[in-house]
Amino acid sequence: MFSSSSGDALALPRVQCPNHPEAILVEDYRAGDMICPECGLVVGDRVIDVGSEWRTFSNEKALKDPSRVGDAQNPLLNGGDLTTMISKGTGAASFDEFGNSKYQNRRTMSSSDRAMLNAFKEISTMADRINLPRNIIDRTNNLFKQVYEQKSLKGRANDAIASACLYIACRQEGVPRTFKEICAVSRISKKEIGRCFKLILKALETSVDLITTGDFMSRFCSNLGLPKQVQMAATYIARKAVELDLVPGRSPISVAAAAIYMASQASAEKKTQKEIGDIAGVADVTIRQSYRLIYPRAAELFPPDFKFDTPVDKLPQL
Amino acid sequence: MDQNNSIPAFQGLASPQGAMTPGMPMFSPMMPYGSGLTPQPIQNTNSLSILEEHQRQQQQQQQQQAQQASTGLPGTSGQTPQLFHSQSVTGTTTTALPGNTPLYNTPLTPMTPITPATPASESSGIVPQLQNIVSTVNLGCKLDLKTIALRARNAEYNPKRFAAVIMRIREPRTTALIFSSGKMVCTGAKSEEQSRLAARKYARVVQKLGFPAKFLDFKIQNMVGSCDVKFPIRLEGLVLTHQQFSSYEPELFPGLIYRMIKPRIVLLIFVSGKVVLTGAKVRAEIYEAFENIYPILKGFRKTT
Repeated sequence: MFSSSSGDALALPRVQCPNHPEAILVEDYRAGDMICPECGLVVGDRVIDVGSEWRTFSNEKALKDPSRVGDAQNPLLNGGDLTTMISKGTGAASFDEFGNSKYQNRRTMSSSDRAMLNAFKEISTMADRINLPRNIIDRTNNLFKQVYEQKSLKGRANDAIASACLYIACRQEGVPRTFKEICAVSRISKKEIGRCFKLILKALETSVDLITTGDFMSRFCSNLGLPKQVQMAATYIARKAVELDLVPGRSPISVAAAAIYMASQASAEKKTQKEIGDIAGVADVTIRQSYRLIYPRAAELFPPDFKFDTPVDKLPQL
Repeated sequence: MDQNNSIPAFQGLASPQGAMTPGMPMFSPMMPYGSGLTPQPIQNTNSLSILEEHQRQQQQQQQQQAQQASTGLPGTSGQTPQLFHSQSVTGTTTTALPGNTPLYNTPLTPMTPITPATPASESSGIVPQLQNIVSTVNLGCKLDLKTIALRARNAEYNPKRFAAVIMRIREPRTTALIFSSGKMVCTGAKSEEQSRLAARKYARVVQKLGFPAKFLDFKIQNMVGSCDVKFPIRLEGLVLTHQQFSSYEPELFPGLIYRMIKPRIVLLIFVSGKVVLTGAKVRAEIYEAFENIYPILKGFRKTT
């Protein structure tokens, strides 16, 4: 209980361990102590606890949440405003005779960032639809903020910019989503997302890696319910096909879809072209075209340790 | 020969050895010009000018064929460079009538100085072929599109869809968009001369319908060329090394879009080796851009 405080108002009280004045004290917030790490002496006590005021245990959502703290701030994205606002009243006293609420505010809370907040909400909704993790959402928000502040794409719809940012973020995190997958969760057309994508890359002066067939294998195969061996075989087939340059100029998605088709047809879990086309977002004629290109050398494309349910010569020939 | 004033565009021409790129149309300096040299009042100039253009074009084509036959194989890099001049006969022959721009101020061939050929840096031997020329001209008077659409042949006009008359002629095969302000866009021609001739023909049609059409500010806005390098290309390699110029998104477009800074040309490069060049205002830019990209593409040739 040694607290040093001089009577002088200007000198800030500095708590320090009497035996180790240079030691930096460790704060134990639960007990409200400051402890010297050298000797374990409790130096300052009755430190103010900054934890939450209440601990709510009940499962059902109580009408009144007694916590007076509010949402976590995201300082990076909002310009950190600490404004408060008056909420709508509860109880009978807040309504006047005609039933209108007495205090009407609802006016321009955060004027310039209104659009940005809206966009973040939209990004969150889109990402939630395809179950994207927090890091991709954060990256998307950062990209959107950079693009928004630059104002070079000001005329474009914010939703289009948001969708394109989401696409870029997925690419940058190493888990690319196809344009069609982003289209499925956004109201913007693929063409517009593609345009905004190119504009954003130019505005931010970044570039993204080229997509490969392997990026989509795990997602497509698990959506189709194919076992791990088939997925690994399909990955191998697609990679070999690109190495041997059997499919020049074909989109990696189409090659991946054709490889999945070949692998699934050689295994016990056969999937039709239509099913694969639905999952991958390619037309079944496209799968047919790419399949025709890889079929002639099918024997070389399979991994050496693959267990064939249907032998290579019995694979369907389209 | 007098130098054309609008040539300055060519001074930046960076052809590797200063010699003529083989296969380019060559003109002898002293091409006879035929009639139409005497200054004419506006109406007559317009009517005669199409004949002149036709004549010139035919002569030029004959010359071209004669020259090309005599040159022998293109692609050999020991060619004797020739001094050739652009085809312009501006100003001295036809007086500039008020409101009428000189007839032939579009140069047809780039000017190159006489320099010996340096065999060390060989040219590609491939010449991009022009596929499309877009040009604009101002007819200088307000037009009533309805009368044009009703009275002209091969004209369509759907004001709800687009606010211009779309007119087509068969020779040269082109399409024109004619706006009520008097401005016109002519597309589809395969050479600069043909574009100009076609624009004149459209102006003539409009004139015959009773409007006081002139031929002001003819300008070529865009030229598209294409060629084939005859070997497959590794686009992935190209996009890795030339990231700041290239954009390759197989999901969006199967070709690589290469935006060259100097000259400012956009090239679409495909896996098969076909290349499309666009965005040029003069023919030389297309040739220069192709000469610039060819060594890069050779470096990314597919080996299998």
